[in-house]
Amino acid sequence: MSKETLEHLSSLMDGEINKDTGRFLIRRLGSDTEMRATWARYHVVRDCLRHQEGSVMGSQFSSRVRQAIDKVEAIETRPAFSARWLRPVAGVAIAASVALMAIVTVDPGQISVDGPAVDSLTGTQVESFVSPNSTLSPVLASQQASTAGLTNNREKMNSYLLRHYQIAGSTGGKGFVTLVPIVVTRTEVSNNEEDEQDRVGLENLNDGSNTTRR
Amino acid sequence: MTVKAAKIMLAATLLGLIQSLSAAPADGATDWLERMSAAMNQMDYQGTFVYVQGDHVETMRVTHVSDDSGVRERLYSVSGKQREITRDSSGIRWIQGDDHSVMEDPAFGRSFFPEISIELSDTAASVYRFKMGESERIAGHNGRQVRIIPLDRFRYGYSLWLEEQSALLLKWELTDSKHKRLAKLMFTDLRLGSEVDTSELRSENSVKEYRKLESTLPSGGSLSHSNPKWQASALPAGYRLTSHRYLGTSEQEIYEHLVYSDGLAAVSVYVESTEDGSLDQSGITSKMGTTHAYSRVSNGVAITVIGDVPAVTVQTIGDAVRPIKP
Repeated sequence: MSKETLEHLSSLMDGEINKDTGRFLIRRLGSDTEMRATWARYHVVRDCLRHQEGSVMGSQFSSRVRQAIDKVEAIETRPAFSARWLRPVAGVAIAASVALMAIVTVDPGQISVDGPAVDSLTGTQVESFVSPNSTLSPVLASQQASTAGLTNNREKMNSYLLRHYQIAGSTGGKGFVTLVPIVVTRTEVSNNEEDEQDRVGLENLNDGSNTTRR
Repeated sequence: MTVKAAKIMLAATLLGLIQSLSAAPADGATDWLERMSAAMNQMDYQGTFVYVQGDHVETMRVTHVSDDSGVRERLYSVSGKQREITRDSSGIRWIQGDDHSVMEDPAFGRSFFPEISIELSDTAASVYRFKMGESERIAGHNGRQVRIIPLDRFRYGYSLWLEEQSALLLKWELTDSKHKRLAKLMFTDLRLGSEVDTSELRSENSVKEYRKLESTLPSGGSLSHSNPKWQASALPAGYRLTSHRYLGTSEQEIYEHLVYSDGLAAVSVYVESTEDGSLDQSGITSKMGTTHAYSRVSNGVAITVIGDVPAVTVQTIGDAVRPIKP
């Protein structure tokens, strides 16, 4: 999927797309499974950001996307997202990083780039990292992902982290220093925060975030 | 003894001396590190410090008390929402400020995860170079610098400034193998011994409003096995298995936690059967601060590797994890 298309999808979610392009995108959503997967993933990421557990994504999400396609006007008049959380600066790499941040609740500025995240465009990366032992599968858009699943993932990963840091704390005599990283968290992206804070947090995140596949 | 024989003996002695000096950490650096380890665990201290990583600066406070009831510790962020870690003999509690949740994990028996003493780590000297540095005044205390330089790319380096009398940590810097600074921690004030206000061990705010999360990982030890069922078939130099525990009810219900260490850095490997027989997934690496994680799924088993080590280390270990054939 081209960067331009990702930008358009982002704009569509933000309610910032012009009418004609919006119609074109919605028609394409009806036939392009990859695009539907990306669209669904964007919703998951948004839910991660806003912690709307169980609110938007459900097992029938894809079919609801199809239903929505039949109601073009309804979609065109949907409330705009004031949170410009999907600035197309890094495409889905942002989404991947955001999901990671939501799950391990880390400071956006703490996550930094290791390399390109092109593969995340397929929608298979973020959830895999979070915890491979989870209800999430590589085919995120095929009804596998739910915010409940993401919550489980986050808790699983946090359990891993907490236990690891306990053990690492007794290694090399570093004591409390080892525990510092999991306290160093910032909370701009909780569901009660202002959209502007979401945006700022994501920009910080984009400055240095990534998930890479070997 | 002839002059020639004496010269040979002298040369041999000098050679042996040179070899021993080159193998041993310089200037008693490991003595300082052992003293630091004891001080960080056994002393009472309390202070405010600044943690810098990238563009982010965080001010935090720590209170550490060691008495007859064991070690009690509270580490919290001074600004923003309530985020803290408390640790005592009953376990560890992590208050996550972002979603009003508290995660708890019961204490481990030392038999599971014994402290890895630097003096016991005969491999540390082979993968790090130790150097003593200059003195520096920090938070009103004189600090002596100890540099721990990694000899390859599989571990970070450290610069530590230790209080001259107690060897307590005053300042800490983390670097990569190319000496680039990754994170820094420095006390701005530090109280010792009787000056410590133990009331700070209690959370100031009630946590009743928080959602309690039990760790999703098994905590019991009754099903532990003496030998690991999984292992990394190849490891970066210096890393060795230091502890493990296996908790599994059947071949389909696996949970194993392996810990590898080079004496200073630790890497956890979690091996778990997937809940839904997930498809194989190739490895994915992510990063939280200076901590890296690597995950993959193979034959219905999820392998997750976490450590405050470079990405290449978790990747190398994660790709090498295999079941041990009976």
